[in-house]
This record gives sequence, C-alpha cells and structure tokens, in this order.
Amino acid sequence: MVSIESSSNQPEAQHPVFNRRTFLQAALATTAVVGVGSFLTACGVKTQKVVSKLIRVGWKADMDTFNPFTTVTTEGVEIQSMIYDKLLDYGLDLQSEPSLATKSVSAGNTITYTIRDGVTWHDGTPFSVKDIVYTYETIGKNQLGINAQFLADYVSVSAPDDKTVVLTFTRPQAFDPGLVIPIVPAHIWSTKSTDEISKFDNLAPIGTGPFAFGTRKQGQIVTVTRNDKWWGTAPEASGISWAIYSNDDLLAQALKNGEVDITPNVPPTVFDGLKKDSAVTAVELDSFSFHHIGMNVSKVKGSTGNPLMHDRAIRQALGYALDRNQIVQIAYAGHALPAGSILTPNFGDYYYEPKGDAVIDNNPAKANAILDAAGYSAKGSDGIRKTKDGKSLSFRVICTATTSVDVRTAQLFQATAEKVGIKLTLTTVDSDTMASAVYNLENPDWDIFVWGWDSGVNDPSYLLGVPLTSQIGGNNDVFYSNPVYDDLFTKQSAELDHTKRVAIVQEMQKLFYEDCVYLVAVYLKKLQAYNNSGWTGWTNVAGGIIFNFTRDNYLKVKAGK
Amino acid sequence: MPFFLRRIATLSSSIFAIVTFNFFLFHIIPGDPIRLIARTQRLNTEAIAKLRTSFGLDGSLLSQYFRYLSKLLHGDLGYSFFYKENVSGIVGRALGNTFLLLTASTLIVVTCGIAIGVFAGSRQGKKSDTATVVSSLILWSMPTFWVGMLLVFTFGVWVGGLPISGISTANALYSNWFQYAMDIGQHLILPTVTLAIVDIAFFIIITRTALIEVMSEDYMLTARGKGLSRRTIVWRHGFRNAMLPVLTASALYISALVGGAIQVEVVFSWPGMGLLMYNAVLARDYSVLEASFLLTTVAVLVANFAADMLYRVLDPRVAVSK
Repeated sequence: MVSIESSSNQPEAQHPVFNRRTFLQAALATTAVVGVGSFLTACGVKTQKVVSKLIRVGWKADMDTFNPFTTVTTEGVEIQSMIYDKLLDYGLDLQSEPSLATKSVSAGNTITYTIRDGVTWHDGTPFSVKDIVYTYETIGKNQLGINAQFLADYVSVSAPDDKTVVLTFTRPQAFDPGLVIPIVPAHIWSTKSTDEISKFDNLAPIGTGPFAFGTRKQGQIVTVTRNDKWWGTAPEASGISWAIYSNDDLLAQALKNGEVDITPNVPPTVFDGLKKDSAVTAVELDSFSFHHIGMNVSKVKGSTGNPLMHDRAIRQALGYALDRNQIVQIAYAGHALPAGSILTPNFGDYYYEPKGDAVIDNNPAKANAILDAAGYSAKGSDGIRKTKDGKSLSFRVICTATTSVDVRTAQLFQATAEKVGIKLTLTTVDSDTMASAVYNLENPDWDIFVWGWDSGVNDPSYLLGVPLTSQIGGNNDVFYSNPVYDDLFTKQSAELDHTKRVAIVQEMQKLFYEDCVYLVAVYLKKLQAYNNSGWTGWTNVAGGIIFNFTRDNYLKVKAGK
Repeated sequence: MPFFLRRIATLSSSIFAIVTFNFFLFHIIPGDPIRLIARTQRLNTEAIAKLRTSFGLDGSLLSQYFRYLSKLLHGDLGYSFFYKENVSGIVGRALGNTFLLLTASTLIVVTCGIAIGVFAGSRQGKKSDTATVVSSLILWSMPTFWVGMLLVFTFGVWVGGLPISGISTANALYSNWFQYAMDIGQHLILPTVTLAIVDIAFFIIITRTALIEVMSEDYMLTARGKGLSRRTIVWRHGFRNAMLPVLTASALYISALVGGAIQVEVVFSWPGMGLLMYNAVLARDYSVLEASFLLTTVAVLVANFAADMLYRVLDPRVAVSK
C-alpha cells in the first residue's frame, strides 16, 4: 500500500493535476469563453446579410445525390431539374414545351429532335449533340437508373448532323422520354466506366440549366445560382435555396415570418393553421398520387397468403364494403378525394370514372349479396362468414405504422368489412418490413396491405404499368397477372393516335377496377403554402406549384415588394 | 505483459468483436434496402442486380463480411445507400459539428457541475446542499427533448432573438470569417444550454456524493486534526480523491456524446452525428448507421481506456494494486 499521508504532506504547489486554484482558473476561463461568446453572438445578431432575390424553399427531407443516373428522391430530381436541361420540358399547363430540343417529331419507331443552337455548359464548354447521344446511349444500353424505364424499348441513338438527334425504338412510343431524361456533359462523364458512373458522387454538377450549382451542406441546405448564359428567358431569381427543417412547426413558423418563401408539403394539421394566416397563402391542389388497398393474388407455390384472395367475389365484396368518403373525412380530414381508378383525375381524358352501377363503393347490401351468391352465406357465432368447408373469411392487413393515414384507413376498412361478415386483423409494421414482406417474390406471407403510389410522369404509362405481369418482381406489389390487361398496355404505349389511346387506357382502368386487386381508396391533395411578401406570380398547377413535373414556377415568379 | 500493452490488447479485441457484431447486426435484420429503393421507381431486375453489386450486397454473408473487414482496414467505411457517396466524408462532416457542440457542452457541464458538486458536498446537510440536491434531481429527471422543445418555444416563438434551427443562418452572406463564427456561435447557444441544463445535474450529484464519501475518510480527520483550513481540506485533500468517479463519469459522458446528443441535435436540426443517425434510420441508410454505431462504440472504448490511464496518474494506488 502507498501511504496516503505521504502525498497529503506535500506542499500544495506540487499537485500538478488538480487543485483549487487551477480548477477555479479553469472554471473561470470556461465561463468567460462561453459568456463572452454568448455576448458577442448576441451582439452579432444582425451582422450578416441575407442573399437578396433568392427563392427560399423550406422542406423536410434531404436530397440524395446530384448524379442523375443514381438519384431516386423527388428532392434530388427537383434540384437537378434546375441544373440540368432535358430535351423537352413541362410547361405550367403540364404540356410539353421545347427545351434543349426546339422540336420533337414521332414517326413509327423513331423520335427525331431538332437541337437548339448556342447552348453552353456551366463550365463554358460548348454543348453539342454528342452530349445527348452519350446520355441516351448510357441509359439505353446499360439500363441505368430511374429513367431506364423510359428507354425499355431502346434500340439506338444517332446524330445524323449537328442539329438533329434520332432515337430508335423497337416499337412506337406514346410517351416522349425527352420530357424526363436530363442531359449530362459527355466531356465529364464519358471517361467513366458504368461502374464508376454508378458510384460517382458528382459533388459539383455541371449542366446547361437556368441555375448552376452553388453549395451543398448535407442535411442542411442546397443552393443554386442563376446561370446568366442560359439560352432561355432569364429568371428574376438570382438563385434558389432548399433548406431542411426537421420539424413541421418550425417550418410553418419560418414561412410565416418570411424566412422561407414556399414549402411544398404541408401536413393537414399545419395546413388549417396556415390557411388562417394573412402573411401566407395555403393552397390545396390535385395531385398524381393515390393510396390504395392491395390484395395478394400471388400464384407461386411458396405464397402463404390466404388463397381466398384469388376469389374475385370476395375482393369485390370488400370493394363494395369500403366507404371511401368516410376515409377521406376521417383519415384525411377532408384533404383528399374519394378514389376509384388507378389513374388520378389529373390525367384528364385518360381518367376513367366509374358511374352508376359500375361504382364499387359503400354498398354493404351489394357486398352481402355477392358473398351469398358466391356460397359464403354460412356464418359463425361471431358473425364472420364461412366457406363451404368451414373456413372463416378472415384476412390479415398490414400497413406502415408511421403513415397514420394508412393506419386509420385500415381501421375504417376493418370496421366496414366486419359489417359484411369479413374479419380483418390489422398489424402495423415499419416501412422496411412492409417492403420486404410485400415484395417477397417466393414466399409472400400477407393478405392485404394499405400503401400508395405516385406517378413520376404526366403520362398514364407509369401507373398503368404497375400491375403488369412483367412487373412481378418489379413494381407489381399484388402479383396481379392478366394477359388481356398486359396486351392492352402494350397497345396503348405504342398508340400515337390520342383518341384511340384514350379508349384503350379507359378500357384497362375499367378492367383493373372491376378485378378489385387494388381498391384505390383516395386521391391525395397536394398541400403547399407560400409567403405573400416574398415572390409574386406563383401559378397553381395540378401536382404542385413546385415539386412537380414542371420547373416553370421557379423561372417565372417575380420579386415582391 | 505490461499493463499498458494488456489494455491495448483488450481494446483491440473488443473493437474487433464490435466490428463483427455490428456487421452481422445490420445484415441479419429483416429488410432489404435495395428493395426499398426499387419500390419507388420502376427498376428492372438487371438494374436491381447492379445496385446490389455497387452497394456490396451481393455474394454470401461471409464474403460480404470479409469484404467489409478489408475495406475497414483501408479506412473505407462503406458507401451510403442514400447519399451515393463514401460514408467517411458524410460522417466526417457530421463528426466535426458534433465535436463543436460536445466541446461547448462538456466544458460547461463538467466544470460547472464539479464546482457546484464540491460546493454542495462540502456543506453536507445544510440548506444550500439540500437546495442543490433537490434542484439537481429535478433537472436530471427532465427529458432532454422536452427541455429543447421548451427552449425552441421560448426563443423561437415567444421571446425570439436566438436561432432555433441548424448550425448557421440559411442563405446568409458573411463579410468576414468572424461574422460566420459568430453566427455559428449563436446557433450553438440553445443546444448547448439544453444539454447543460439536464446533464449538469449528473456531475453535481456524482461529485457531491464522491466528496462526501472522501470527507468521511480517516485521513480527512487527520487533516482536520492537523489544523488545516476547511478550504485546504476540501480542495487539496478531498477534491483530488473525489475526482476518480467523476473522471469515469466524464469519460462516459464524452463517449456518449460522440454518438451525438441525438435528441438535442434532432430538436435543433444540428447537423451532427445524432441527426445523421436519426436521418439514416428514416432513410434506411444502413452503411451510415453501421459506421455511426462503430464510431460510437469505439469512442466509448477509447474513452474508457483513456480514463483507465488517467486513473493511474490521479491515484497511484491503482498502479500499485495492479
């Protein structure tokens, strides 16, 4: 043992680590540093200036990457659309308008673009048809990224002269991919292998767009600055910033006090409060999104889903039991529309609206009649119907726990189904478990889910393509397979005559609606809000003022007073 | 084997065990990040297979593990599913911000906590001691996020004057670096104060208890018997000996903060490790989570190792008894 006394007998000055004096000195120094810092910072409140003529967007989620070949988030696509131009673009009417291509002509299996003159990249390099050929070839040949779906029938791309680009497909294309594919500079990208492209972080993106990349602070803010050499009419905004707020209330507060000019996704709970604020305009717009109830009709051997889901009568009865209006009012507080078809009404004449007897909604009597006719008339003591061999009509429902509207929808669905003698047992799961369970190709172990879809383009192909047989293993989340539907899809995607295409698209929706593997419950409303003192001239567009297929609102707003 | 080497060996084997556990933890839990990416977009099976390869999720679990180990030894923390860039860069930026918050709050919490703890401990049983203990217990029992929300409400909505979100003012132009530093300093105030309010109580109570224990030792009686002043007894003889448990607590506190003061960072949108982990959970960004967990656990181990070493400096008995 070491003697304690021996150390305590040492003079005070010999304790190098701690003594009263050094401790008090340290405490004083710390307090001084923090105190002076606080004082100085309090004095410095208004020393920095805020960039003028900036469109300041406030939102909740971060973008992923500036690499157009690997980006998947809507935030990423939104910001990239300012930096990169496409061959064509959507106007405020959501119709096609020229961009890098001044003209686009579809004929047979080809689309021919006439390319704009005098375009330069943000780094000063002249833009040419080679950049377009490189971009389309990279995606078409390697099927890279989210835009590969629009080049599924790709054969080749060529530039017969320096003003023309020709895209060739295996069949005619009703949808023009020029509307969605951003053109990247060949002088930066062409030296990379496919693998390198897939991993390229592209931290300083170079495009031809109206705004050039400014700064990015991950998890905080992205800014772009106006490209004064852009080929189009110069936007009034000197730049745009997208700042992330972790909390809806903070974001609403920032919008009210003018720190934020516009926000693209307002939750219903905050929306009603903003609507009453005179400093803010809160708008409720139609969208291209829906939430639906999906039923597992997988025919694979390993499926442990309830085989009764294969009976169309049961699915239809569930459809007739569902009360969509009640869901809109209760689960969505009125900020949605009762739905039906897989396309939303924003698709204009393509949209199929069931009327009269064709409506499968809120009709318990009809549900009961269908079930009786199908032989499910026997009931247990709990009121639940039984099959002829005594099995209860009992199904499992899953939905994402954090998507409260889906949970509420499932609960309302449960109650209405029970009234017609079908038992639904609800389990909430996290989004990862949901995706893994639903997309388990070999052993799907679920019966019914509540989830949603959003169209990435203003063309019916995307949503209509979800339930294709070829999409089993892809987007087809219910394993629906109907050769008639598949044939109609192929026909419509190659039909260049609009009237004929509308007829096919309507027929497909009717067929899918009546098969009831999807009970499309609601069409979502897009709730957005902007500050009245920042910018003027925001145009309401179906799908959103911003965060939409069109970037034109950013380019056309004027500075306020 | 000398003590130092023995400790190094224990540290290394613990880190290896953690790396292994960490890898398997994230790879055996149900769920497929690629499936989630593919859900939102129409990717064909070929594109999905390419994604799997580029994220290192192809091949058997064991081969993925060895690939992970080899990359880790080369300083490669993996590739972010969400940001599509190397995790090292992402984590590096967040660590810097957390370090700033951590330094500010640790300085306040440790120094003020110890000072108040010594004050209360040396006045055991008096009113000032009781008041300190009661208020410390009240502060300690307050949830951090709740204190944060109260401050956000007070300074963001009610009184105003202090920034409540982020690390610097969005869209600000600075004429010099001093303005920029001041702006960050301003943003630092509320998160630091939130952490300090809650955590200071921890140090007050530990210091107080340790000091009271030391004060009851025989050698303190001897010191009093020698006629030393109360101040000398408390600070020269009591304080140094009472520092051992406080040191352990400080080491644990610092290492816990490396994991990010998650709640505070989320409430104030402070872009540090806590907010990064929170967002990584939401985005299912496994490689970022994996790296964050790894760094946090390694930080705990290293901080404990450092505390062990410091023990020997503070208390020679430790070295002798070993």
